[in-house]
Amino acid sequence: MAETTTNRDRSTAQPAFRATGLRKTYDMGETQVHALRGVDLEIGAGEVLVLLGPSGSGKSTLLNIVGALDRPTAGQLWYEDTELTALNDHALTRFRRAHVGFIFQFYNLIPSLTAEENVRLVTDIATDPMPAAEALELVGLGDRRAHFPAQLSGGEQQRVAVARAIAKRPHVLFCDEPTGALDSKTGIKVLETLANANAELGATLIIITHNAGIAGMADRVFNFLDGRIASIEVNETRIAPSEISW
Amino acid sequence: MKALDLKLLRDLWRIRGQALAIALVVGAATATFVMSLGVYRSLMETRDIYYERNHFADVFSGMTRAPRSIVGRIETIEGVRHAEGRIIQYATLDIPGRVESIRTVINSVGEGGETDLNRLTLVAGRGPRSSAAGEIVIDEAFADANGFAPGDEIDALIYGTRERLTVVGIGLAPDYIYAIAPGELIPDESRFGIFWMGERALEAATNRTEAINFISMTLERGASEAEVIRRLDVILAPFGGTGAYGRDDHPSNAFVDNELMQLDVMTTTIPPVFLIVSTFLVYIVLGRLISTEREQIGLLKAFGYTDGAIAWHYLKFALAISALGILIGWAAGAWMGRGMTALYTEYYRFPFLYYRISPSIFAIAALLAAGSAVLGAMGGVRTVIGLTPAIAMAPPQPPIYKTGFLERVGQKAGFTSIGHMIVRHIGRWPVRSGITVFGVALSLGLLFSTMQFLDGTNEMLEANFFRAQNQDLTVALIEAGNEEVLHNLASIPGVLRVEATRAASARLRNGHRSERVAIESASSNTRLWSRIDASGREIPLPPAGLMLSGQLAAKLDIRAGDRVEVDMLEGRRIRTQIPVVTTISEYIGSRAYADSVTLERLTRDNSPVGSALLRIDPAAREDILDELREMPIVLGVTERRATLDKFREMIDDNMITMIGFYIAFASAIVIGVVYNSARIIFSERARELATLRVLGYHKQEVGLILLGQIALLVALAVPVGCLTGYALGQSLAAAFSSDLFRLPFAPTRGTYGFSIVVVLVAAALTALIVARRVARLDMVRVLKARD
Repeated sequence: MAETTTNRDRSTAQPAFRATGLRKTYDMGETQVHALRGVDLEIGAGEVLVLLGPSGSGKSTLLNIVGALDRPTAGQLWYEDTELTALNDHALTRFRRAHVGFIFQFYNLIPSLTAEENVRLVTDIATDPMPAAEALELVGLGDRRAHFPAQLSGGEQQRVAVARAIAKRPHVLFCDEPTGALDSKTGIKVLETLANANAELGATLIIITHNAGIAGMADRVFNFLDGRIASIEVNETRIAPSEISW
Repeated sequence: MKALDLKLLRDLWRIRGQALAIALVVGAATATFVMSLGVYRSLMETRDIYYERNHFADVFSGMTRAPRSIVGRIETIEGVRHAEGRIIQYATLDIPGRVESIRTVINSVGEGGETDLNRLTLVAGRGPRSSAAGEIVIDEAFADANGFAPGDEIDALIYGTRERLTVVGIGLAPDYIYAIAPGELIPDESRFGIFWMGERALEAATNRTEAINFISMTLERGASEAEVIRRLDVILAPFGGTGAYGRDDHPSNAFVDNELMQLDVMTTTIPPVFLIVSTFLVYIVLGRLISTEREQIGLLKAFGYTDGAIAWHYLKFALAISALGILIGWAAGAWMGRGMTALYTEYYRFPFLYYRISPSIFAIAALLAAGSAVLGAMGGVRTVIGLTPAIAMAPPQPPIYKTGFLERVGQKAGFTSIGHMIVRHIGRWPVRSGITVFGVALSLGLLFSTMQFLDGTNEMLEANFFRAQNQDLTVALIEAGNEEVLHNLASIPGVLRVEATRAASARLRNGHRSERVAIESASSNTRLWSRIDASGREIPLPPAGLMLSGQLAAKLDIRAGDRVEVDMLEGRRIRTQIPVVTTISEYIGSRAYADSVTLERLTRDNSPVGSALLRIDPAAREDILDELREMPIVLGVTERRATLDKFREMIDDNMITMIGFYIAFASAIVIGVVYNSARIIFSERARELATLRVLGYHKQEVGLILLGQIALLVALAVPVGCLTGYALGQSLAAAFSSDLFRLPFAPTRGTYGFSIVVVLVAAALTALIVARRVARLDMVRVLKARD
């Protein structure tokens, strides 16, 4: 179980991601928006990381870059021994396909596919996936697999999204406001599934949230301000999602 | 400018690609309408003015020979306003360096080329003096094709005598707008010319002093043409009258009428196809726009805009697109009309051509286009009016998907998730999917139904020139003769086989129905001449009685086994009744056939040889043609090969242009339909596609969802389009058929294939343009926003 190693071990273990001098600038015609102003970081394999900060502070930009959805304007980023910033678009896609799971605030399920088919979307192209049905069992939706998204509640939809993300046995899970559209009870359920994925699959978990309470379940918390990591908190012990005060 | 109008302009700019794609279809509708109706009216007006200015006659009749005084007698027939006699004489020409038989028909005219009827219009030089031997005016087309100008000399063999003719002028006349040599199907201006010669000079050349062999007349308003014809036939019978006929049966006029009829058919069939498609396109595009602007509509209503004001806003959107299409269509239609008119002037000879598209045609075209856009906008406008501010501002219900019938089949077939996404999206939007299928199918159908004309024409050529004819040359004789002619022809070195045929003028009657025809015959042991019906079977000539072409039988309302009354207009001019033994389904003309013995029994003139069919050694062609030119009895020689080549040339000239137009039109529909469908699918699925990209699908894989959906719809459209094309082509072929031709509907597999390939290529290229957007999908932005 995760609790057998200390948090400090996890953050200094063989890092999954390393970045130096990450910058991201958006050209908005006459003005430039500096979304990231030079970020250096290391993220350990199996670590649970929470990114906190006000809107526009750069946390989503960082997540997009680390998740290989976007490229930095400057700086370098490695995943294990691979320099992601040197990869072309095709290789980045291959990277996402092989290693990354995503969970979004608005679930982003395909409305025309049932819960199981949404999961199969990922298992169809992954190298060593678990069966779609098993992934749904893991999130407690084994009996809802033939339902279309429109027939599921918000929490159920988000759990399908989690199942979709973990079915490929990802090395890293990116969650952008995973509970942002959910009530506390449902949100906790979703966070529990994520914590399980981290514990049982060993997946690195990177969560963006506005909800400071969630920070308690992290190994480390990055506080963003103005395009930079303003401070890093290390939690000596992680709390279980059920203990989070919403 | 009002804020709402600014929004309109910006919305239009935002979806400019889609708007332009619809405008292209609207443009095609407008263009085809303006073109075909414009050309139709221009051609008709030109013809009418030409006929009026040049006093084109109403009734015509040929005869062997009659005294000029007969004209006065004919003018006493009730209903005849004015009659005029002339001599019409066929002759062959001897042009240095030209081997083939070149023929002319020489018409007598008064002093300086003046006549009362069928007046000559001079475009160069002057008219011939009445008694100046050898002075001629030649027709403009012949002059152009052979490089003749006033002052040139031409050697001719007229009525068995060699004469040197001098060109004094170049002109045209309304009775030769479409000039085809006897026995030919299409004009060949390099081998057949129309000449006009002074009356006295032609009388002298043909030994017809104070005699005529042709008469034309105009009728009083309201006069009965049928009655005049009947009385005329009676008067002319003793003079060898070959049967009077009205304008409808006048060869030149009949062809012009035929062309006008076909243009009329085009006007009423082609533009509606485009209008239907553009209506549907406006419907789906506006529908999508309104569904994405629900919140804005709710907001506007909340601010106090009336339903009418918002409805008008979206109606203007549709009207703006159609206005763009109308402008494109006006310009393209006027331009194409000019091109088409220029094509007509190659085959139809007018001294002037009023190419003028009246403002009313532009206005009607615009009204039709705008009307179809408004119709298409109605669905959207109804939605707009039905939205309440509160509902409009709440997010729309998420689309409910179902597993349909196709799915259950698909599940067994092992559909991937992507496959499900495609099929369910199609099933979720059945109307829009149906419109896409229907639009592409219509485009395919339109292309196929116009392309099949080429097959029909080829089939007609095949039937006429290859299956039914085996001769190399057809030698027309000055008058029907006996077997001696055949011996003379057979003795020419290089002639391999000679057979006689004859065509004798007759009027067939059944009750009040009457048709003037030539009864054609051949010897019973013929090997060069056969009657092949539309299904390719050879139908032997009945040993007794007549065989009628299906068209003639229909016009006379006669079936095989009935008896028909025959008034022979040649030979001993007997009147008798004879059974119709069989009918034959043919493509060209209304024709009647009898075997040579039957025809001899009808003519009773012991002259079974009207023309001769020759099979020759190709190496001896030039010598044989030289020899034939020297024979006084020979009126002219037709070479099967040359006629065929000319026909092919005409098809190449006309059809290629037309096919180019129709490929462009069909592509316009495909582009309009596929581009809009793909853009709508793309905009609806942008979020899903971006999600797939995030989940690790490559651009190509994601692009496949879009392309796969379009491909599936287009694939469904192919069989529907083939069926549509089959039905449309069949009815177009039927609508294009006239007394002159019955256009067979004989599409080849190549035409199906070509039409399908054009549509698929246009669809694929269009879809690829939209699919490129997949590559530019902004994963981050699309995922951030709520749909």
